[in-house]
Formats: sequence, C-alpha cells, structure tokens
Amino acid sequence: MIVSERGPARNDSRIKPLAFLQRYGREIGLPIIVALMVLVFSLNSAVFMSLPNFRNIGVSAAALAAVSFGQTFAILTAGLDLSVGAIVALVSIVGALVMRDHGVAAGVAAALATGAAVGLVNGLVITRFKVFPFIATLAMMSIVSGLALGLSGGVAVTGVPGAFSNLAYARTFGVPVPVVISVGVLAACIVILRFTKLGRRIYAAGGNEEAARLSGISVGSVKIAAYVLSGLCASVGSLILTARVASGQPSLGATLPLESVAAVVLGGVSLFGGRGSVVGVAFGVLFISILSNGLNLLNVPSYTQMMVIGGALILAVSLDQIFIGAKAGRK
Amino acid sequence: MTSIRPAPEATASAQDGIPLVALRDLAKGYPGVRALRGVSLDLRPGEVHALVGENGAGKSTLIRILSGDVKPDGGSIEITGTTTVFDSPRDARARGIVTIFQELMIAPDLSVAENIFLGNEPGPGLLYSRGKAERMAAEVLAELGVGSRIDPSERAGNLSTARRQLIEIARALVLRAPVIVMDEPTAALSEHEASALRGLIMRMRAEGTSFLYVSHRLDEVMEIADRVTVLRGGEHVATMNASAIKDTAELIGLMVGRPMAELFPPRNETIGDVVLSVSGLTRHGAFHDVGFQVRAGEVVGFAGLVGAGRTEVMRAIFGADALDAGEIRKDGAPIVIRSPRDAIARGIAYLPEDRKDQGLVLTMSGTENVMMASLDQACVAGFVSGPAMRKAARRTADSLQFKGQLDAPAGTASGGNQQKLVIGKSILTGAKVLIFDEPTRGIDVGAKAEIYRLIHELAANGAAVIMVSSELPELMGTCHRIYAMSGGRIRDELSLAEFDEKRILAGAFAAHMAPQASLRGVGAS
Repeated sequence: MIVSERGPARNDSRIKPLAFLQRYGREIGLPIIVALMVLVFSLNSAVFMSLPNFRNIGVSAAALAAVSFGQTFAILTAGLDLSVGAIVALVSIVGALVMRDHGVAAGVAAALATGAAVGLVNGLVITRFKVFPFIATLAMMSIVSGLALGLSGGVAVTGVPGAFSNLAYARTFGVPVPVVISVGVLAACIVILRFTKLGRRIYAAGGNEEAARLSGISVGSVKIAAYVLSGLCASVGSLILTARVASGQPSLGATLPLESVAAVVLGGVSLFGGRGSVVGVAFGVLFISILSNGLNLLNVPSYTQMMVIGGALILAVSLDQIFIGAKAGRK
Repeated sequence: MTSIRPAPEATASAQDGIPLVALRDLAKGYPGVRALRGVSLDLRPGEVHALVGENGAGKSTLIRILSGDVKPDGGSIEITGTTTVFDSPRDARARGIVTIFQELMIAPDLSVAENIFLGNEPGPGLLYSRGKAERMAAEVLAELGVGSRIDPSERAGNLSTARRQLIEIARALVLRAPVIVMDEPTAALSEHEASALRGLIMRMRAEGTSFLYVSHRLDEVMEIADRVTVLRGGEHVATMNASAIKDTAELIGLMVGRPMAELFPPRNETIGDVVLSVSGLTRHGAFHDVGFQVRAGEVVGFAGLVGAGRTEVMRAIFGADALDAGEIRKDGAPIVIRSPRDAIARGIAYLPEDRKDQGLVLTMSGTENVMMASLDQACVAGFVSGPAMRKAARRTADSLQFKGQLDAPAGTASGGNQQKLVIGKSILTGAKVLIFDEPTRGIDVGAKAEIYRLIHELAANGAAVIMVSSELPELMGTCHRIYAMSGGRIRDELSLAEFDEKRILAGAFAAHMAPQASLRGVGAS
C-alpha cells in the first residue's frame, strides 16, 4: 500500500526566530547590515553624513551597480561573467574613439553595440561550444583586454566631447546623472526579470535546466540573452566611468569582475543559479561602495580596503551558509 | 513536417484506421546496454495505452525517444502515417506530444503558476502576465481536484513531492496536447489525488486525447488502460486489450518472463542478542521519545505516513542529524554518534531512500562506488590498487548477484542494480546494523523479490536490519516485527503473530484527526 500524505502544509506551525531568519534572512539581512554600517560611519566621521558625501558614494557606486546588475543575469543562469572588466575597457576605447570622430550619440550607440556583441560571443561560446562559463569568460577577458589595448595602442584615447564627460558631474533634481542612469538600469532589470517571459525563463534555466529544456524552452537562447544583457549593462557602466575620466582608458574596470561578483553574491543571488533578485544586488553594491567610502574617510589605506572587501565577502557567504543555506537546503 | 494538431486530423485518421502515433522497430543502444531492440507500438486516437515492464525493460528509453529527448539508433516514428524525426523536446511538443517525466521537473524558485506555464507563459508579446497565469493555473488545479490546496502564487520549491508531481501533470494539461505521455504519474500521489487524476484521464480520453501511460501500479493499469504493451529486456513481449488480461499476476508473468514464484522469501529464523537499542530519542520538531530495539538476525519494520518522522529518526541514529536527547546502545554499551563517520565506525549503515542523491556518486564506476567507504581493503603499501579494488568489488557484487557492469558509471545501472551497489558498499564496511529507507522504491517487481532475499540473507549472517517502508505488504511480508510511527512518535509495536493491516494503519494515522487510510495493493503477489 502507498500511504498518503495528508493535510495542508505543516510548516506554518513553527514560526520561530531561526525559521524567520531562514525564510527572510536573505531579503532583510543585507539592508540591516548596510544601515548599521551607515550608523557606525556617521558616528566616527563628521563628513560621512552629508549630502556631498552621499553624492560621492552614488557616483562611485553607479558604474559598479550597472555592471553588477548585468552580472546578475549571468549568475542567475548558473553561469558567471568574468569578462565584464575587459568589456568595460574595450567599450571605453571604442566609445571614446567613435565619440571623438562622430559625436556623442554615435559613440553611445557604438559602446552599447560593442558590449552586446562581446556578450553574444560569450553566450555562443558557452552554449554552442559547451565551454564552462568560468573558462569561456576568463578567456574572453584576455581576448577583449588584448583588443582594447591593441585598439588604443595602450594609451588613453583623449578628445572625448565635453558634452559627454560633463554628464558625469551634472545633476537632475540634485541627483547626479550617473546615479539616475544606474537606477534606470535597475528598473529595466527588474522589469526584464519579473515581467517578461525571458526573465522567468532565466530563473527556470538556472533553477532546473533539465526542467526548462524538457518544457520546450530553448535554454541556449536564454543563456545567450543573459550574457548579451550582461555585456550591455557592462557597457553602460563603462560609459559612466569613461565620462568620469573624460577619456577612453584601456585599463579601466580591472577590479570589476571581483567587485561585481561580490556585489551579486552579497546581494543574495545563488551561485548555483535560479535564485535571487536584482534589488538584493543593489544593496550588495551599496554595501561595497559605502564600506569603501567610509574606510576612506577613516583614512584606511586602499590596500587594506581590498583586504576588508575580500574578508567581508567570505564572512557574508559563510554566515549565509551557516544560518540560512544549510538549513533551508535540507528538508 | 506533420503535426497532430489540429484535432480534426486525428479524427480523420481514426476513421482511416491509421494510428495517431506509430513507433516502428525502434532501437537504441548505450555503451554496454541495448536499451531497445526493435520495439513497435502504436497509439490510437482516444485510447489509454499502458506500457509496463521491469526497470531496465526499455520503458524510459522509449519515452525519451517519444518526447524528443533522445534520438533512436534505428526505426522510425510516424505521426498520422507520416514518418517524422524529433530534433528536440521542443519539437515533439510542437507536434502535439507532451511528456510528463517521472523525475520532478520543477524550477524551485518560480511560482506554481510559472512552473505550470514554463515555456508557454501567457502574456502579450514578450511580457509575462502573472495575474493571467495564476488565474489559468487555478482553473487547471481545480480540474485536478486540488484547487483549494495548492496556491498558484506559492514558490514551487516549498511544495511536497506529491504536489510537485501535480504541477507536472497540470503542465501537460494546459497544453491541451492530443498525445500525453505519463511516466509513473501516481507514484508520489495520495489516493485522493491519484483517483482525481484517473478521473481526469478518463474525461480527456472521452474527449479524444490519447495517453501512453507507464506505471508500476498494475491494478491501476488494469483499471484505466484500453490496451497494454509489455516490454522485457528492451524487447516487445506483447500488446493486448486490457479486457483480455485475467489479473495482475498474468501481467507480472509477462514482465518477469517466468511465473512469479514467491515474492517474499522465507524469514530468517535464527535470532540472536539485541544489537541496537535506543531510548528517549528526541529531536525537537521531528520526533519525540522514540525507543526500540533490534536483534541480530532480525528484520524490523517501520510503518507510517510520509512525514511521520521515520527517516528523521534513522538519520539521527546514523549521525546525519543531531539528537536533542536520548541514548543509543550498541551491543549493550551506550555509544555516542556525532557524525555518519562515527556511525560507520560503530558498524551502523544507512541506505538512504534517495539512492541517486545520497547513496551513489553516479558518475563514478560501480567498483569505485562499492569501494568508496572501504578503500583500506584495496590498499597495497598505502596506495589504492586498481586490481585489488576491482577484485574486492567483484566479490561483493557477485555475492549480491549484481547484474550490471561494474566498470560502467553507476548512473547507467538499473534501479535494482543501483540498490545493490549501495548495499555492497555497506556490507564492505562491515556494518552489523543495516538501516534500509524505502529499499524498493522505484524498483520493479522482479528486482524487489531479490532485494527481499538479500535482506534476509544479510539477517541470516547476523545483521540487525531496520526497514523503513511506505508499502505495507512489503513490511508485512519481510519483517519479524513492525513499529508504527505517526507524528514523530512510535504508536504501536506488533510481533509477527500480531501483524494486521488495520492495526498498523491505526498506528500510522494516530496523530491525524480523521483517519482516512488509502489501501492500495502494489500489484504484486
């Protein structure tokens, strides 16, 4: 005989602190930590709690935010995009060159097309040639960096129109334009992930690839789209950085692969794919940016900051494993 | 490029006497195995065609071919008389053949509605309309008789196995496909849900939908099938009208290829001293004050519903989960078990319910799996020796009558053979207490009998055996004693002379308000 399971879900009887943490820890944990960090820094630094400093944080966070939102797509498909830093460099060179000769609009279009094209190649290599995302994007990082250095001859591309570079310091309603742009990217990503078929399929492909495939979803196309989106977002990040330095830089974005993955993982997106939200990633970006800003104000050397960010990443993931992941993963 | 859609075509073909789908001489081989050898089968419009056979008979391969997931080496697929080739699952679906797989195909972080409409999401253009999906999902779930119990907006990963299975079925229903292939759809369902599903199949058949229905529950096959095809060892044995079949025993005979002698072997008769005794075992939220004992040579069963706490108790004894209170004694002396490693060192082995996830490394060979926990026995001068390993594994496998290939990845072995690999691994560690959790789940009748025989052989050699099972006939046919658990507590203990289905069920339902037992024969014996 087969005995049946009876009655409605039985997990509503145990709403205990630990259970609550397991259920909502990922969503509320990071915002609380970010708020605590703001509190600590404002108590220790007179400058921290000021509008100019917040604008500073916003501007420095904007590029990382755009890149990290893109990284989220790749990681949600259980992949990874290590080429984002190289994309930023190549896009910066291409954007600056085209802008110098053909104007701002053409430059922006060329920049976005370049980012999307590299993403497309990433996606094709991963899905058609069956190269693991880690290796595929690592190799692309090298190829694309080489391309950026070759195109620029290893030196900065100057002559970026002032109309473009001034945007980095312009404000609309008191909010720096880079922040406005990154919030726009955030909104677009939310819409794509939550309200389009592609978005739902990205979660399906990452959460259970076999299920997605056997449901008639073309998992390959979904993954390719994810890497194209990652490339596009990286090129937006690159435009923000290019405007800030008012030139095309072949070495731009070297730290972005690490920082964007850190922001995504801190933001609660599972490296195994299929779980997490881009809003969480926004908090991950805020965490990294506020931490580095606060440490600057406290005169902590930048080398030490690198160590702190690495340590914070390990700490965050291990806390997640101990309190949430390990328990939630088991029946 | 032919499609079964739209339906009028199907009606036309019925008049012409052309089957809706015809499989001709399908052949498929995998390294070391010929999974299908020239199997033909046809599916008429508006019929339920059951496909039965032991594990390894080729049912799964046939389904995978029909779903477009696997390409046959030989033979052809005809749809309404036209030969077709499926390039992908997407392709097969587009031609109107939808397959519900036995493995649960759920994207855990999507909602129920999103899973139901996976790949087929409602919404204008590129957009996904959540409200519409959830409304439509609610309608389908209501049709399945579970509208009030599954919330379309719930995260699918939170659902029980049975409910996930229902999502799979709902997924096929919304496509309104003319051909639905179901692989063991009721294996994880409660009787209420299973009968709702059968009712639905009947209704859809009346409306012209055809079903290829694979099930181990032969009584169910007899109930709903119009025709039955039996496969054995990758070959077609017989196709007959269900009305022409006398009883399930006749089907079993065809499946096994020999008259079904005795499913349950005689019980081991030499019972020794108490090997394992536990008292007051408690793990908050899982089980309370559990105490029992097992003697050498004894097979002790644990009956209960899913969620009664049986698996949790066994995992705790094995050290996989922590205990909050209680004492474990081995051979009379109290022992402390903090991890599975401790348990194995004390001669306690746990053979998990989920062989594929917890018992085997599917990508490693049978040999490596068997030897995994006892590499010391295959070491020469401190290094693992390949020949020594193969020799030891072969000896163990032979003693278990393992019929698969030891060199092949464990994942390619049949369910019964995988179970034997897990048993072999435990025997080699010298375990004296063997805890089997659902040892025959997903295993066919012939292999079941062999597992029962093995269990008694192990007992005859002095092992103390614990058997957790949801199949009551299996417990009553193999055990010396049965404990009934419910709501995390032991409710009853029955000696062999006291075995009584009603009394065990009463114990299994003790923690539930309105006992509503679901009695279902397993089709065997």
